[in-house]
Amino acid sequence: MARLSRRAFLRIAVLAGLGVSVAALERVSRPVGLGNYLRWTTRGELERIAGRPAVIALGECPTYADDLAGRLASLWHQAEMPDVTGKRVLVKPNLIDVIEGYPTTTAPEVVGAVLDVLTGLGASEIVVGEGSGFRREAEPVVESCGLAAELARRHVSFVDLNYDDPRPVPVEDGWFRHATNIWLPRHVREADLVVSVPKLKVHHWAGVSLSLKNLFGILPGCRYGWPKNMLHVNGIAMSVLGLYRLAQPVVSVMDGVVGMEGDGPLFGTPVPHGLLAVSADPVAVDTLCARLMGFDPNKIQYLWLAAWAGVGQAKRLDVRGGDVARFSRTYQPPPS
Amino acid sequence: MNANAFAFLQQAMTADGGWGYSLDQASSVEATAAVALAAQDDLADADLERSAVAWLRAAQHADGGWGMNKDDIESIWTTGWGVLALTSTGSAEDAVARGAVWLARMPALRVTDDELQEEFRRKLAVDPNLSGWPWLPDEASWIEPTALILLALAAAPVQGIAARSAEAARFIADRRCQGGGWNFGNPVMLGGNLPPRAHPTAWALLALNRVAPDLIRSEDLAALRTEAGRDGGSSALALALLALRTLGEDDPALASRLAGRQAAGGGWDGNPYHTALALLAGRGRLL
Repeated sequence: MARLSRRAFLRIAVLAGLGVSVAALERVSRPVGLGNYLRWTTRGELERIAGRPAVIALGECPTYADDLAGRLASLWHQAEMPDVTGKRVLVKPNLIDVIEGYPTTTAPEVVGAVLDVLTGLGASEIVVGEGSGFRREAEPVVESCGLAAELARRHVSFVDLNYDDPRPVPVEDGWFRHATNIWLPRHVREADLVVSVPKLKVHHWAGVSLSLKNLFGILPGCRYGWPKNMLHVNGIAMSVLGLYRLAQPVVSVMDGVVGMEGDGPLFGTPVPHGLLAVSADPVAVDTLCARLMGFDPNKIQYLWLAAWAGVGQAKRLDVRGGDVARFSRTYQPPPS
Repeated sequence: MNANAFAFLQQAMTADGGWGYSLDQASSVEATAAVALAAQDDLADADLERSAVAWLRAAQHADGGWGMNKDDIESIWTTGWGVLALTSTGSAEDAVARGAVWLARMPALRVTDDELQEEFRRKLAVDPNLSGWPWLPDEASWIEPTALILLALAAAPVQGIAARSAEAARFIADRRCQGGGWNFGNPVMLGGNLPPRAHPTAWALLALNRVAPDLIRSEDLAALRTEAGRDGGSSALALALLALRTLGEDDPALASRLAGRQAAGGGWDGNPYHTALALLAGRGRLL
């Protein structure tokens, strides 16, 4: 029997190693596809190593009776938010449903204050919009949560994104695996800027419901139904990031004055947190807020995925507004 | 009231002969089908129904289904509306038959894994073996599309759906909220009772009344009255009244609130879909 030379052995070993690596790569990338996997991994590494730090401005606000507009204007400036002069802006609060006794929705006072800030900064057209996941018609939610009065006072329109003349938009970046297009409402398609104004909440499926999860409300129910099961079938984490990519540019103003812990997003318990957070990078602000709620962002699937795939900045955070520790709480996680 | 409402619908017709959810929107299958149903009224100009039927026929896909509008190439839950509307007009038997076959074959997600089934029982308090119809093919079943499609298939001449329809009726009964009525899908979320909502409750009652009236409980009607009153939106009030009147009941307070929401121009919320639902509520029957 011929003896294997050292050189031949090394060749075989290298080829075997390559084969194992390719097989492993194929296996690990199978759920998202090899192309997406390589692109996201590379982008994520670049973001971690050389990405621009994301600025987040934190502010204390013990009650909704405070000067919210004044505080938010200051935070908006500190967070180096984009210029809105002459822009069409869609303000997207979380109005998933109104359930008596539970702080399910973004406080109307915070939405009103955001409108004041945007008006003061010269936005040319501002509308507030939501496509509730648990109501066929948004108007009763807008009325009963108190937002209608805030809008009427400022002569700002509300648009029900569930019925807002949806049109198909090509999927970007591979986040919707079984669709080439996603139908989006007119005011999302035509906005120069989307301001996500979520309520700081825990969420029984997503872990937390913050700026990015709030974007589930831009999917039109008249196409996808209620409560937008397609996003769950596609996977919550993938859908969260997919909608973010489609709706860009998206910035965030977080209502953490009163948060929600426990059985969120509907039946949780109020947490007097006293927090407002503003950032042009929703991934950054969600990552920080998850930490401030006492959760490890690496264990929140959509935040881990965003960090790994370089969708936004999750690692290099420039936090302004004082000591982060004073905003730290320990939220009760959702029941499992 | 009705003559004004039909005048509004006449004005709200889009250039392509259909109706959208508001005056400045493209025509949609749901709104146009609702108008087709509402237009079967002596007070309505015959053009309304003719136009709606023509639009729906033109919007039907080759596979028999309908999308959200004419630009939507995927067949989805709105096929229930298409079949229901064309069945009621009695003028498009071929289109109805193709639509009904598509609905009968529309696949719904089934949970077969033992562990997942147990999780569904524990977290959502549902029987995971029961299935109805989804909003989009291959998704989970929900109350409204299940009820809508049950009604469409009960009205359309299609064979071989008895077993699926019977299971769908059991699916609806299984998803009943504690105290009566229905939320959009499951009645419980991780141990917390979800409240009934007016829209799915009205649809569930309309469907059960047609295919399995024995499954209706008086508490469902009470939940519908309460929730429609609490919601107060035009579509909630209209659907609730439509369901109650179909079941031989009424609610003057809800009727008065709905009437109070009609604008001087004859429409509700400037929305042809809401207006058609209000007209159907006034008539007291869907078909």
